[in-house]
Amino acid sequence: MIEVKNLTKSLPNGRKLLDGISFKVKKGEFVGILGASGAGKTLTLRCLNGLLKPDKGEVIIQDEYGKGHDICKISKRELRRVRQRIGVIFQGYHLVRRLSALENVMIGRLGQIGTLRSILYGFTDEEAAEALLALEKVKMGQYAEIKTGNLSGGEMQRVAIARAIFQLPTLLIADEPISNLDPSNAKVIMKMIKPLSTTMPVVGVFHQPEMTAKYCSRVIAIKEGKMVYDGDPKLSNNMLVDIYGEELGQIEQQEQGILAPIIN
Amino acid sequence: MIIMHLGKYNLKRYRKWILPLVALAVVTEGAAIVCGATFEKLWDGLFKGVSFLGYMFPPDWSAFPEMLQPAFQSIIIAFLGTVFGTLLSVIFALLAAANISNTWVRNITRFFIGFERSIPEIVILLLLIAAFGLGTMPAIIALTLGCIGMIGKLLADTIEELDPIMMESMASVGANKTQIIVFGVLPQIMPNLISYALFRFEINIRLSVLLGAVGAGGVGYELDYSFYMLEYHRAFTALLVIIIMIFGTERLSYILRGQIKMKGALK
Repeated sequence: MIEVKNLTKSLPNGRKLLDGISFKVKKGEFVGILGASGAGKTLTLRCLNGLLKPDKGEVIIQDEYGKGHDICKISKRELRRVRQRIGVIFQGYHLVRRLSALENVMIGRLGQIGTLRSILYGFTDEEAAEALLALEKVKMGQYAEIKTGNLSGGEMQRVAIARAIFQLPTLLIADEPISNLDPSNAKVIMKMIKPLSTTMPVVGVFHQPEMTAKYCSRVIAIKEGKMVYDGDPKLSNNMLVDIYGEELGQIEQQEQGILAPIIN
Repeated sequence: MIIMHLGKYNLKRYRKWILPLVALAVVTEGAAIVCGATFEKLWDGLFKGVSFLGYMFPPDWSAFPEMLQPAFQSIIIAFLGTVFGTLLSVIFALLAAANISNTWVRNITRFFIGFERSIPEIVILLLLIAAFGLGTMPAIIALTLGCIGMIGKLLADTIEELDPIMMESMASVGANKTQIIVFGVLPQIMPNLISYALFRFEINIRLSVLLGAVGAGGVGYELDYSFYMLEYHRAFTALLVIIIMIFGTERLSYILRGQIKMKGALK
């Protein structure tokens, strides 16, 4: 479970980037965060795993033993320990490109094995087999030995998911995981992320309301740093216009006038 | 651009070149007068140089076997200097990269690397000879330091250009700095590291010949000594050995670096 309370972050000039964001995500939920560019979605997400410290507020994450930790207050060492069980999928390609897919999956557990062991000994055969199993779960088993730099965007994102699975996380965070993928790959990735939410809370930032409506169990909308919506994933048109601004409504109206015959 | 305008062909288009050319000619002539360089001296010297080559010819092949050991020594000096220098420069590069170390350490390390680069290897060698005495040891240290100055800088810049999201994503699975360096940074910079090291090895071969003449031993010393003893045929042999050595390493390094680039292209 993850609980966010009153998250606030401002620029030195006083402009509020995040303003009192609070929500709670339980096991079994797949929450999508929507919002226009610059609304504070990614900022919120970066606060969730301690990449960014908010000015005010709490982020409480339950570890594998059910104990809660406030990410914003714990020491660096503690933060590293909690992060070992937070799976992350970033926007774009965040893998080590010159390492193989399997090695990238193994990176997921680097924090869990000690520094000395990771450098001198590495992973045991059982752990390697587990990593391969994680790759097979995302249908990438045959690419295990290939350098990730040579994979396509969709394949890289699958390796990233396998890395998160191998981590045995208690929470999964995804920052625009489907932003630079083609529509069919995007659907495949969403289909892979969704079942993970049965064993852990999943929070993701998305730019595609139609995708969150289809796959998420709940949607949170952020506008100018404030939460404006929290509930059913199927958003009304008025809500979408409210989130993405007046222009979207105007453009859609125009398009329906001009493009409707072409689209239909 | 007017200079490309064919329809307006007239002398006006050359006008803006006249002043700079005249100024350059005046400065050149002035400099030549100050340091006493004349064309007569140039022709004279060229003639003497060519006839000197005539004195040196043919090479003294009987001296060839005794050149091999010094040549080998020169290569070993360059090799050891490159190996130690490359290993040390990885450490210095990590300390000098903004995304790995903190600002203070970075700036101090960058200053040291830049300072080192501004001192020629020969000067370092002369200082080291005062400390260690003549021999291969000061040459190896001088080349090692030279390596740090060059590879350290290039590598630090390479590290700073690494994808920040890649490192962030490793930090977000709980990996510590050492693990990020070993499993994220080092694999990513390895092709650059090898390429820089090979390039530096070429430079070090040439430098080790030069340093040899100053007092580090090796084939450079043989060349210097032969001239000193007026054994020109022997000097010619040394010169040939040096040319073969340098040309050989350059070819080798070129081929190896080509291999790396081919693999790196898929990055």
